Amino acid sequence: MSLSNLIKNWSSLRVKRPYEDQYKDKDYKWAMVIDLDACTGCNACTTACYAENNLPVVGREAFSKGQAMHWIRIERYWGEGEEMKGRFPDRGAQFLPMLCQQCESAPCEVVCPVGATHHTPDGLNSQVYNRCIGSRYCSANCPYKVRYFNWWQYPERAWPNPLELQLNPDVTVRSKGVMEKCTFCVQRLTEAKGRARTEGRRVADGEVVTACAQACPTSAITFGNLADDKSQVARTWERQQIKLASDRQEKDENLRGYRILEDLRTYPSIVYMERVRDSEA
Amino acid sequence: MKVRVKNCLIWLSIWVFSSAAMAEPFVQGGAIGSQTEDGFNALGPVVEQPIEFPHNTHAGQMGINCMYCHTYARRSGVSGIPRLDKCMGCHNLIESVKDRPRIKKLFEYWEKKEPIPWKKVHDLPDFVRFNHERHIQRFYFKEDRPVREVCGYCHGDIASMTTARRVKALSMGWCVSCHQKEHLESAGTTKTSNGPNDCWQCHK
Repeated sequence: MSLSNLIKNWSSLRVKRPYEDQYKDKDYKWAMVIDLDACTGCNACTTACYAENNLPVVGREAFSKGQAMHWIRIERYWGEGEEMKGRFPDRGAQFLPMLCQQCESAPCEVVCPVGATHHTPDGLNSQVYNRCIGSRYCSANCPYKVRYFNWWQYPERAWPNPLELQLNPDVTVRSKGVMEKCTFCVQRLTEAKGRARTEGRRVADGEVVTACAQACPTSAITFGNLADDKSQVARTWERQQIKLASDRQEKDENLRGYRILEDLRTYPSIVYMERVRDSEA
Repeated sequence: MKVRVKNCLIWLSIWVFSSAAMAEPFVQGGAIGSQTEDGFNALGPVVEQPIEFPHNTHAGQMGINCMYCHTYARRSGVSGIPRLDKCMGCHNLIESVKDRPRIKKLFEYWEKKEPIPWKKVHDLPDFVRFNHERHIQRFYFKEDRPVREVCGYCHGDIASMTTARRVKALSMGWCVSCHQKEHLESAGTTKTSNGPNDCWQCHK
């Protein structure tokens, strides 16, 4: 950040973030809604992410050590149905797609010793591979455990010739020793923003979606621009009485929307819609 | 005493020369010590093209707009290398130069139905996202500056070269030095703004 920029935007840089109506006059604030009631745990989002973002398949051994590089993973939880296992073997399973929550007050950003991860003006938590020195401090500080470290040089193993032709040219192929994480498919966002800007407008709702949202067969994942009041995401957030800049908000008990680990005051950009269960049946 | 001074002088001169040799600044492509016209130590290598295309004739003497051939620059991330039929579209009709060696070569490719294997001159690293469209839209269409100047910000004065050579650094500091400047938002106004300074705008 240049000195002139610092002086010019001094007042906005001095405030505690996030604050109310932070993105009111901004063009973009990317956000997501995931409806757990619709999620069937099919892993299509994970597969789509692997294809879009050049994620390497690490192999059985590395996977068992927890070194898999899935930017979005399906977490399984076993709920109340567990006791009824005998009668309904599959009843208790609940699925939760876990990806980078693009926190507004991200714990990973503040601890990076080299400033490789920082906040973009449109509310994304960015990761710059060139700058990363692989201290892994960000991953240690992430409460969601959604940062993945390149323990090995994967590209040659994951995409032997001619498989490198399947790589997405808009995404860097990461090498050994850098941290990576979900980017909300920033390559798609940048392209859409550029196109919209040439045409002198804002990116329309639904014009750009992340790979996971695009692949979801049950449309459980909704992606959009929170700064645009009329977007589907913004309307869901409002209906669920969730505000970006507040934690532990007072709200109607019947509402399903919540953000994960809100108490930690990370102010995530992803709202999950609780699964509706009928435990009596 | 005298010996000591002499010794000192010798050591000093060794130190000066050695440090001057060691302090060779970062060189990106090109021979060591080659300077770009704006003072960066990064003049690109001479790239041998299959046909020595005279930019100076087309863009310089004829004054053809760069975007007549590099047609995608205004609407896409990449500017595009013209297809062979673009060349032939004109040169089929220009009888006066048909006997020149370079034009003969062009017709040879056309007869063989082969594309000309042009080589890339301005090659950015794979982790960089550069968008021609945004720059052309802003400076050529909105600010209404001459096309030779707009393309020249990054490509130098191609219209005075035959085959293109990289004459600008195309390094990050060089990009940022322009992004930090105040640029007019459009031709009619005095309103200015900077280029984006967010990492993810250019790094992918």
